[in-house]
Amino acid sequence: MAEIAGTMTGSQLEFARRVDATSTNQRALDQFLRGVERRALRMAELACGSRDDALDVVQDAMCAFVKNYAAKPEPDWAPLFHRVLDSRLNDFHRRRTVRKRWLAVFERKEDDDTLDPIEQAQDLQDPGPLLRLAGSEAGKALDAALKALPLRQRQAFLLRMWEGFDVATTARVMQCSEGSVKTHLSRALAALRRALEDHQ
Amino acid sequence: MNGNHHSNDRPAWINRSTQLLDDSVRDLDAVTLSRLNRARQAALTQQRPHAPRVWLLPAGLASACAMLLAVVVWQPHHRSETQPSAAPVAVDDGDSEETSTEFYQNLEFYAWLDAQNKGGDG
Repeated sequence: MAEIAGTMTGSQLEFARRVDATSTNQRALDQFLRGVERRALRMAELACGSRDDALDVVQDAMCAFVKNYAAKPEPDWAPLFHRVLDSRLNDFHRRRTVRKRWLAVFERKEDDDTLDPIEQAQDLQDPGPLLRLAGSEAGKALDAALKALPLRQRQAFLLRMWEGFDVATTARVMQCSEGSVKTHLSRALAALRRALEDHQ
Repeated sequence: MNGNHHSNDRPAWINRSTQLLDDSVRDLDAVTLSRLNRARQAALTQQRPHAPRVWLLPAGLASACAMLLAVVVWQPHHRSETQPSAAPVAVDDGDSEETSTEFYQNLEFYAWLDAQNKGGDG
């Protein structure tokens, strides 16, 4: 091994060291991303309303996280990843709002007779991811209640209650003040309690 | 971080909600898991270091040598093809050659003429 190292040039040695360090880092990153990807997908799905869009957002967030924050200390990864994801979800929400505004202009011109009610109806064979997995009335109610929440309130609830971040970390992830996090969370809890009280 | 979200100091309905959320991500279908795996691999791939381009220096030198050689080989050809002014010089050379042949043919006459001149002077 020493002989091999002796025959390597300086740049090759540096490259070998970098490969070694990177492979260690990659294993840690792989473990980390495996641990957060399903919850990230659920958060994105609740925000986007479709699994395909959610998968795109999660992949985008993973790429941006690895590109920008892979060199950061491991304890910081979770808040940083969720910060990237939150930012991507905000972007998605903003784009969708603009698209809806534009579409609303054209939809007004359409005659109601041209809309097929069967096509407009939800697919009864696909009850939705949360409903399919939970398979209970409580699951359905929670899914509907979470989707009905505004984006910021839903993020505050999921980050604080589900991810278990404290107020300061949630504020860093959502890039707002701690007071805003408390307000969003308080409103989210009130709305969810109202929606779910029948299922307690 | 993730493990402490079912605590006793929270209302039961919140614990129930987080439990339902946990359930919802436990058994994802194979297609979704495959897509998540691909997304993760795509993210990790961009982090892998690229080998230093040590071959660039020799490749550059070789290219430079090849270009130099091409210029050296091509240049004389090009010059002979693009210099038509050499033709009149060749014509001039032909004239002078003819003149010198004539000179050598009449060399005896010139020698006699020279002797006559010397005799006349003396």
